[in-house]
Amino acid sequence: MIPVRLGALILVAVVVQVTAFADVRIAGVAPELLVLFAVMFGYWLGPRHGPTAAFVVGLFWDVYLPTPLGLSAIVFSMVAFAVGTGGAELFRDSKLQLAAIAGVGTFSAITGYALLGEVMGQRGLVDLEMLRVSLIAGLVNAAAAPLTRPLIAWSVGPKSGLGVLGAPR
Amino acid sequence: MVPAQRTGRVRHRLILLTLVAVTLLTVDLRGFDSARAAQGFVRDLLHPVNSLATTVFSPVADVWNSLFAYGDLEAENAALRSEIDAMRGAAISAEADRSAYQQLLGSLDLPYAGNTAIVTARVQRGPVGNFAGDVVTINRGHRHGLSEGMAVVTGAGLVGRVERVDGVTSTVQLLSDPNLFVGVRLVSTNDVGLGHAVPGEAGMFVINQGPNWPRISETALLPETGSAVVTDADSRYTADVPIGRVVEVRPAADESSLEVLVELANDVEDLAFVSVLVNEQHEDPPLLDVVPSTSVPLDLDPDLLNPPGAGSADEVDR
Repeated sequence: MIPVRLGALILVAVVVQVTAFADVRIAGVAPELLVLFAVMFGYWLGPRHGPTAAFVVGLFWDVYLPTPLGLSAIVFSMVAFAVGTGGAELFRDSKLQLAAIAGVGTFSAITGYALLGEVMGQRGLVDLEMLRVSLIAGLVNAAAAPLTRPLIAWSVGPKSGLGVLGAPR
Repeated sequence: MVPAQRTGRVRHRLILLTLVAVTLLTVDLRGFDSARAAQGFVRDLLHPVNSLATTVFSPVADVWNSLFAYGDLEAENAALRSEIDAMRGAAISAEADRSAYQQLLGSLDLPYAGNTAIVTARVQRGPVGNFAGDVVTINRGHRHGLSEGMAVVTGAGLVGRVERVDGVTSTVQLLSDPNLFVGVRLVSTNDVGLGHAVPGEAGMFVINQGPNWPRISETALLPETGSAVVTDADSRYTADVPIGRVVEVRPAADESSLEVLVELANDVEDLAFVSVLVNEQHEDPPLLDVVPSTSVPLDLDPDLLNPPGAGSADEVDR
């Protein structure tokens, strides 16, 4: 049941990102819902399953982006791994910390995406505008993180750290 | 011991994901058709859902933009307008239809298209995400005869080129993208050049190179202000599609040549309908079949032609 719910949540997130957030902009920046979900999966599922879910999210996002297939996937899974590892060892489960994780994770994911994209030969990704986009998207996702929490909980069940889905706790 | 094993498994999984991503990146960067076809398949599969979602979310986006995109005064106006709209529902709807119809007519009036077949398309959405600027998605694709590289125009002139084609949708790279280079002809001097949009200057296009591009001292060879700029016959697009008008001739950044600044004829920021010129795309000339040389150097040892154990030339031919 969990994979079905997870798949449904990812699909809905992709559709909302591609349709609604193509027109809705905050200070000229599109909300990065898929990055938020990738970070949240890392936080919620831990370093074992979080990167895999984030990878799938990134792969769907890559289908719609002009950058090469796999670029978002690799960045999302790395960020989810970092968040999952840090989340298990450093953070307690509080709303403020969740917002901080979402903000910093989003900033890191967007910056990493742009840097890796530039390395891969995509032009014009790294500039001051990238920093502005990362900052605003990070703030938006920090504010939105607590709202996505019930959705994540519905799709994958209770939060797990290094003890993860399907593994004995 | 158990946590160490678990951490090891986590690392292995991360390495596996990284390897998969690197493989996908390599496949895509190498231009394998299968990777693009798979992406197109997913987009086509989700197209009905996306269309439905676009319809559902469109009012939300309109409300959002009316509230936040144009400042407080605009927000007040929008609120007042929405009340009037509610009272005039049917009339406004008719006006909207008429406006769309006028835009459609505008996109169909293409005097420069000649006998070229055109496919009219509606702009479905703007760029997705924050790093895919200067593209729009239109509701026509492979099934309507579109292919990559085709020119996208309106009655005012060139809009861009078809960049990516799926079954029923396509992505158009707009002329406002500085990475889109267009071969152009300066009508007043008949010179040809290569131009692109000016980064950070909306609606402006610069031509700064060409086969016989004038140096800084040769200002007499450059076009007059206000003269027209169109696509060149040797460019990848249909000839004589309007680009814009010359507004300034100025020294280039290298200070050894000149550049021509052009105001684009089209406002690519506000598109509702566009037309795609369906013509054969310029392709590289086909490679000729390799024909092995039959001549034999005069000083070649005859034994090399018939090595021991090999049959005679006649036997090989048979």
